[in-house]
Amino acid sequence: MTLQPVRMVAANSWFGRLDFRTKLCLMMVTGILALMWDSPILMMVLVLSLAVAAIGAGVRWRVIRTLGLTALPLTVMLIGVHGLWNVAQVRSLTDRAQLLALVSLPADWWLIGGLTFTLEGAVYGFAVSMKSLALMLIVPLVVFTTETSQMVVALVRIGVPYKIAFVFSATLRFFPLLLSEIQSITEAQRLRGLDLTSMGPLKRVSIYGQMAVPLILGALLKSQQMEISLQSRAFSGNRDRTYLHVSSLNTRDILVIVLLSLGLIGSVIGYRRLGIGSFAWILFE
Amino acid sequence: MVTGSGAVVVDRLSYMYPRTEIPVLRDLSLTIESGEFFGLIGPTGAGKTTFCLTLNGIVPQFYGGRFFGSVTVLGMDTVECPTRRLSRHVGVVFQDPETQLITPSVEDEIAFALENLSVPRAEIRRRIPVALKAVRLEGTERKHPHELSGGQKQRLAIGAALAMQPDVLVLDEPTSQLDPLGQREVFTVLKQLNEELDITIIIASHAAEMLAEYADRVALLADGSLKAIGSPAEIYTRRGLLREHHLRLPQVTETFMTASDRGVPIETVPVRLDEGQQMIDGFLDSENPPPAIGFQCDDASSHNRKAISQDNSVLSAHNLHYHYPDGTAALKSVSLDIHAGEYVLLVGQNGAGKTTLVKHFTRLLLPTVGRVKIFGSESRNLNVSEVARRVGYVGQNPDHQLFRATVESEVAYALRHQGRLEDAEIKGRVTESLAQMDLTYARDLHPLSLAKGDRARVVMAAVLAMEPDVLILDEPTTGQDYRDARRILKITGQLHRFGKTIVVVTHHLYLMAEYAQRVIVMGEGTVLLDGPIRDVFHRVDVLRSTYLTPPQAVLLAQHLSKKIGHSYPILTPRELASVLASAFTNEVIS
Repeated sequence: MTLQPVRMVAANSWFGRLDFRTKLCLMMVTGILALMWDSPILMMVLVLSLAVAAIGAGVRWRVIRTLGLTALPLTVMLIGVHGLWNVAQVRSLTDRAQLLALVSLPADWWLIGGLTFTLEGAVYGFAVSMKSLALMLIVPLVVFTTETSQMVVALVRIGVPYKIAFVFSATLRFFPLLLSEIQSITEAQRLRGLDLTSMGPLKRVSIYGQMAVPLILGALLKSQQMEISLQSRAFSGNRDRTYLHVSSLNTRDILVIVLLSLGLIGSVIGYRRLGIGSFAWILFE
Repeated sequence: MVTGSGAVVVDRLSYMYPRTEIPVLRDLSLTIESGEFFGLIGPTGAGKTTFCLTLNGIVPQFYGGRFFGSVTVLGMDTVECPTRRLSRHVGVVFQDPETQLITPSVEDEIAFALENLSVPRAEIRRRIPVALKAVRLEGTERKHPHELSGGQKQRLAIGAALAMQPDVLVLDEPTSQLDPLGQREVFTVLKQLNEELDITIIIASHAAEMLAEYADRVALLADGSLKAIGSPAEIYTRRGLLREHHLRLPQVTETFMTASDRGVPIETVPVRLDEGQQMIDGFLDSENPPPAIGFQCDDASSHNRKAISQDNSVLSAHNLHYHYPDGTAALKSVSLDIHAGEYVLLVGQNGAGKTTLVKHFTRLLLPTVGRVKIFGSESRNLNVSEVARRVGYVGQNPDHQLFRATVESEVAYALRHQGRLEDAEIKGRVTESLAQMDLTYARDLHPLSLAKGDRARVVMAAVLAMEPDVLILDEPTTGQDYRDARRILKITGQLHRFGKTIVVVTHHLYLMAEYAQRVIVMGEGTVLLDGPIRDVFHRVDVLRSTYLTPPQAVLLAQHLSKKIGHSYPILTPRELASVLASAFTNEVIS
């Protein structure tokens, strides 16, 4: 049983048919908005929109759920940290001298004793975690809905050297192989009677460390074989190479790029002039 | 000095890899003519791969090292002419399709080299269907290479090389990971390309039967030197030379040479199956055809059967279904029992579900539906480490199974982690295991510094040190040369005689006749056939349905049976030779 390649969903959805440069544009706009906005409301809207768009584009619910579960510990940590410690910044963002205390911790607790967990801090922590989740969600939406060959052509069209674009595509191609190697090595260790579940964390780390030997040697060997294969197929990364696929922006792409640009400009103006997207917007005004 | 204007002219070639003093190629001179189908044989370490890599300049242009003499391909010196330019004329296909298929779709794979050579898009579009047609992969353009079978992947690699319209196609062990029909598919395509497009084919392979059938000439390399060169008939009939270099004769040749040794008058020893069948026809059409005679089994299957008790099941599957997380149904309603003391051979095409089945017996996988029992206990109630102490598993790639810096610590690895054995006992078991595997010499060496055959035996030693009752070997002979493959199987035979239950998964049916008692044939996740090896190897129809072909000795025996009207459940060349010899001496053995 081999692992499936990192593609990907059928690239025949409306979103999937967009040129990769258009998707990169969306990625950039999402990144700017996620960095600019502090509002938990808008960040949640952004995250939900991305999740809906990803599902609409054919990304499996399992992938979205995995990302959400991966982000969950980070969310809890950020809410905790900001709720307890981020007082000065949150005061300044809400323009309030006093924050709403939800819980005051006993003074004799180690490290966190005497601290107060505030509502505004917790909400700010939540907003920060939504920023991370938005940046995580945009990746499957853009990458998983695009054929690797289309990515390479589009990257070259925007001026990325072919060798770098190729490394990017080769990483996507070989990532499943690497996972497959890790799986084989882990299985081999278990088959030697190593019961990782009954081991303490330190011993387990040492066992995982030993996995690095066959993994690195295997990866080196494979990369050397791949390089020989590339050399044998006239690979040199030359600028004059031709491409089977074309990257072209059609009316739909241009329309999306224009809308994204207008949306971004509008968001920046709204943020600057009216405070739309600032942390205190609606919630703490 | 080699003269002539062949497609490839090799003149006094010697080569040493960087930082080594031992030449891997030594004073090699030969000429390969344009349009030839040229086979390259030799044991592991003979220098076949290095030789292949000199033909497109990878050696020495990529590797460096010390290079003496010259290699000229179509008049181009492979040291002076850049690999990029040579690649327009010399296509190379390697052993492992996984590392040479680098793009996300079949058509991209074909296009990749053409793009690198700056071939215009319209021309690339024109060549893709031509190349795919040549390797019989039409209709797969948009598929991801992962979706193809092993044989298809290798044919795609050939197609990708072919799209460059090379004059010379070099293939290094391209079929070693394929099932027998996948192997034949590749050779058939190559022959077609050779005959129709006049492409010179140079192929390094251990597939003696295939080379005997398809090659115009064969060269034997050993220790980097050319030991012999000639037609398949000239090379494969030099039994002493081949044995000296641990190489295998085609079974048809082995059969008739052995028959000749026993007094059967044979003028020209055949190297191809059809020649062997014609020879049998000749015997039967002669004025005094041999009488129908019986024969005596010379394999282990009969006497090994004694120890098996039908109610002593050690591994069992009942109505086993398994679906991978992506929904692929890998096993469908599999029910079988493996009994203590059996030697079971599990065969089937690539993707038939063999590995998935044996992984259930190690508890790496749990049934989606149905039950698996290991020594009478439901696999669900056991954990992998408990099972590993009783069921040893040796996987296909030894390099995934080696973690330690010395062979000794590798073998002791699992024993130390069990935490229930004294040092003295661990040491004793390690010493015993290493001796059993003939690896005492390597005790202090790094496992990865050993040859592949030795590495596989280190893994076996490590598994045997746990003293399991059952040993499962998954494709133990893949990628091994004949000597190492035999060595591994011989050990399984010894372990079986000591009472261990052995399960071997392999495509190499010709190696197994002397060892296995029972054969389970799998196809598309189901058990197609389960029975004694003598019955199963003669069910050619069932074997073919799962991309397997029986060994040539079986096919010849069937031909003989059909002609003479008497059934010969023969498995080995020696058995067939003894039947032929008995027939000519009018001796009846039953």
